[in-house]
Amino acid sequence: MTKLSRKERMQKAQEMAGISFWVDLRKGRLTKYAVQKQVKHILSMTFRYVILICLSFVVITPIWNLCRDAFTAPAMLGDKSSSWIPQQVSSIFMDVARSKSLMDYWPSLAYSLFNTVILTFLQVLTTGLAAYSFARLKFKGSGILFFFVVLTIVVPSDSIMLAQYAAFRNFDIFGLIGLINGTGVGLNLIDKPVSQYILAGTGMGVKSGLYIYFMRQGVRGLPISVEEAAHVDGAGFLRTFFSIVVPSMSGSILTVSVLSFLWNYTDTYYTGLLNRNVHQLAYQYAQLQGNVRWGIDSAAKANKDWISIINASDPFVQTAVISACALLVVAPLLIMYAFVQKRFVQGAARSGLGGD
Amino acid sequence: MKKDKKTAAPKPGLSWYKRMDFSKKTALWGVIFLLPWLIGLIFFFLRPMVNTLWYSLCNMQMVNGKFTGTFNGIENFKWALGVNADFARMLTSALTNMLKEVPFQIFLALFIAMLLNGEYKGRGFFRAVFVIPIILATGVATFKLREASLAEAVTESVMDMKWLEELVINSGIPEELTSLLVSYVNDIFTVVTTCGVQVLLFLSGLQAISPTLYEVAKMEGCTQFETFCKITLPMVSPTILVCLVYSIAESFAHSKVPYGDSTIELASYIRTITFNGTSEYFGYGAAMSFIYFAVTLVTIGVICGIVSKGVFYYD
Repeated sequence: MTKLSRKERMQKAQEMAGISFWVDLRKGRLTKYAVQKQVKHILSMTFRYVILICLSFVVITPIWNLCRDAFTAPAMLGDKSSSWIPQQVSSIFMDVARSKSLMDYWPSLAYSLFNTVILTFLQVLTTGLAAYSFARLKFKGSGILFFFVVLTIVVPSDSIMLAQYAAFRNFDIFGLIGLINGTGVGLNLIDKPVSQYILAGTGMGVKSGLYIYFMRQGVRGLPISVEEAAHVDGAGFLRTFFSIVVPSMSGSILTVSVLSFLWNYTDTYYTGLLNRNVHQLAYQYAQLQGNVRWGIDSAAKANKDWISIINASDPFVQTAVISACALLVVAPLLIMYAFVQKRFVQGAARSGLGGD
Repeated sequence: MKKDKKTAAPKPGLSWYKRMDFSKKTALWGVIFLLPWLIGLIFFFLRPMVNTLWYSLCNMQMVNGKFTGTFNGIENFKWALGVNADFARMLTSALTNMLKEVPFQIFLALFIAMLLNGEYKGRGFFRAVFVIPIILATGVATFKLREASLAEAVTESVMDMKWLEELVINSGIPEELTSLLVSYVNDIFTVVTTCGVQVLLFLSGLQAISPTLYEVAKMEGCTQFETFCKITLPMVSPTILVCLVYSIAESFAHSKVPYGDSTIELASYIRTITFNGTSEYFGYGAAMSFIYFAVTLVTIGVICGIVSKGVFYYD
């Protein structure tokens, strides 16, 4: 190797560092390089903010539109001047949507929340246990079983809908129930919340496979030495799981619980198939699309103040009422999300959901 | 050393368990922890799947709340792919939708996640906003929201895009490419609202990359683009694979296919056919379900088989 002079070495170093030749590294004051760096920084930040603000606009606009439609006064509906902010605000459509003939809101909300909390609890418990087993308690064949987890994510639940319906229409395990009640026919669990609980509790509920995957990643991110220490100190497997693993993976558990709550609450597929209860808000809302006119009509008839203002055959009124209903369905989720969002996003980001 | 015999007197009932070695205990508890899920897998997933296959080969009847079928070979499949003119067309349309949508979705999700990652003012706010689509992504909330925004946004944006489209076509760029890009722009709401989970996955994938790697790259003088190609992309490639599986499955389940004058989700089309009142359609529905899920599986298998060749695992 030939020996380079100091100047040459400097130049080479600068070239390798991707800095153009006119920069003097030895100068401490504002060099062109520093200016260049600053400009680059400002440009990239501007770019970031412009894109983020535009995309946030895309996300927020529909929610804003819902609020706008729901709170516009009947007289201002379809008015061009109210296309962004209603000129006259009224809560009449919210009242209509809350009324007995449309949503019957408070009892329905109570029922939906109650149901969803149970489903979430069962789902998180089962998938958490399964995830821990997949991550740490490996046995022969657990690799193959994990393939089935992927299969449950991938296979569209619609495609086994009919057979699942049949399984609950005639609910029986190894013919035991049929033997006990002597008819040979199992229980009919259709339109009973129990059928949903069973699905959630056996890890086949809404997107359960995804939760197992998430939590397995969460467990894998934990240092195994803590669990080993617990075993050495004489803790059993259950105890290790509940008092060591669960607290230390609270981030991913929170994430999964929130997701599970959201998706169980908005789920219409399993509700529609197994538990067609009029008090399930999301299902009720899905049913509304077809018969909103009838609902508004009977709501208006029930209340004297409304009958003169609200015309059920007006498409603007129908849109406004549907918007109000949608807002009422989504509102609890948005409120809940506002409380947990910081921890939720952090939990998701730090739990290492990605990985392999 | 002398063996201490006093401690070796376990309770009689649990002695077999106490004598087990640790690896066997681990395996036993592994099965116990998995048991609820295993029951669900067998009774509410595998059995329905096998049953679906059986139904699809049968002429179904509902008697006394119990499904009974008489074997009639591949008649149902013949009906689904031959007699029923819509279904095959719908499948191909769902497939092309998926091929068009998923790459864009993955790209956009990675892009958003990269923008959200890092240090800047208002990070908490933007992160919160981009997770909102997850809340609205399923079932109920979306179809109203989508309609609301489509009704206005699309009419406006289509009108706005026309001149741009003409401009681009006149400048000599092939028309197919242009119309593809324009359709992406028009779909942006749908895509942004459906990629919430992917953004979350990518965000955590990005967070898991060790900052020292970036430091090294900076010291060695990599440009931003080089850093992205040599560090970010390989390090998130496992996440890309996961997102791909998820996106394809979701895209199939929710892709809108043309039906008559309007569009319908493939799954809800199958549902309408299955539950249209006549019990002979149960068989047809099962056959269509089976084809639907076979196509999904094969697609995911093929695409992931190709993509996993390029995935880089750090450890």
